Amino acid sequence: MTGILFSLMAGSLVSIQAIFNSKVNERAGTWATTTLVLGLGFLASLTIGFILEGKQLFAWQEMQPWFWFSGLIGVGVVMSLVQAMKRLSPTIAIAIVMTSEVLFALLWDSLGWMGLEQVPFTINKLLGVLVIIGGIFVLKFGGKRERQKVSEAA
Amino acid sequence: MKGILFAILGGACITLQGIANTRISGSIGTWQAATLTQFTGFIVALIILMCVGAGKWREFQQVKPLYLAGGSFAAIIIFSNVTAIQQIGVTLMVSMLLIAQLGMTVIMETNGFFGLKKQKISGAQLIGIGMMISGVFLLKG
Repeated sequence: MTGILFSLMAGSLVSIQAIFNSKVNERAGTWATTTLVLGLGFLASLTIGFILEGKQLFAWQEMQPWFWFSGLIGVGVVMSLVQAMKRLSPTIAIAIVMTSEVLFALLWDSLGWMGLEQVPFTINKLLGVLVIIGGIFVLKFGGKRERQKVSEAA
Repeated sequence: MKGILFAILGGACITLQGIANTRISGSIGTWQAATLTQFTGFIVALIILMCVGAGKWREFQQVKPLYLAGGSFAAIIIFSNVTAIQQIGVTLMVSMLLIAQLGMTVIMETNGFFGLKKQKISGAQLIGIGMMISGVFLLKG
């Protein structure tokens, strides 16, 4: 249950953050915005982590070298989205991004990849994911109202 | 076609980010993982910014301070993502996250929050959210 609540909280914050970031992006461009967003995310994590854990925050006992490169994934996200948005309308780009997110989630859960607890694949899970993807497309493309650019990307 | 491939790659990277953060959290702790990955991401983004030209920094002054602060949400987002993946797995986490993300966007549009153009909720939006929620029940069952 708490897992569900945490997911809902993350999703709500992602949508607000997407709107705020798009307002910065309109003025400052992709990379100034990305640098600001990651820099502030770093400072906020550092601050909260230090308040909660003190010096423990810097005791990385089981550190592995590849951890240093995980930040590149976030940069990969920005690069891919910028390229996709350039070539597609924001609505279709976001619908495909979300479809890809949930399909890869199912794939990696089923494989039990990267030390994840393996969640066995079932036809029901695939059906559930397909209905969710259907919902995304109905929400994004149902009705022909002109939508404001800022909210399209959120 | 290239646009579609980039969109697929972007979605894969978003999910991968959650999994990598969860894996790193398991070794060094969640706040440690959030601090580390955003620090390295920040450095790389800064290098790219220097290469493409950093002159646009000044434009930040033209943006409302509230909007500039959006990046700080990521601390809570990453913590929530990792905790949720540990408890309910990646598929369910991503599904619930997308429902909340799209639902919240609809709520903000309906109320015209943050300068968004106010618009009535549409039948398609309600049906879409309803489908996503039914999908989650199928997933869990």
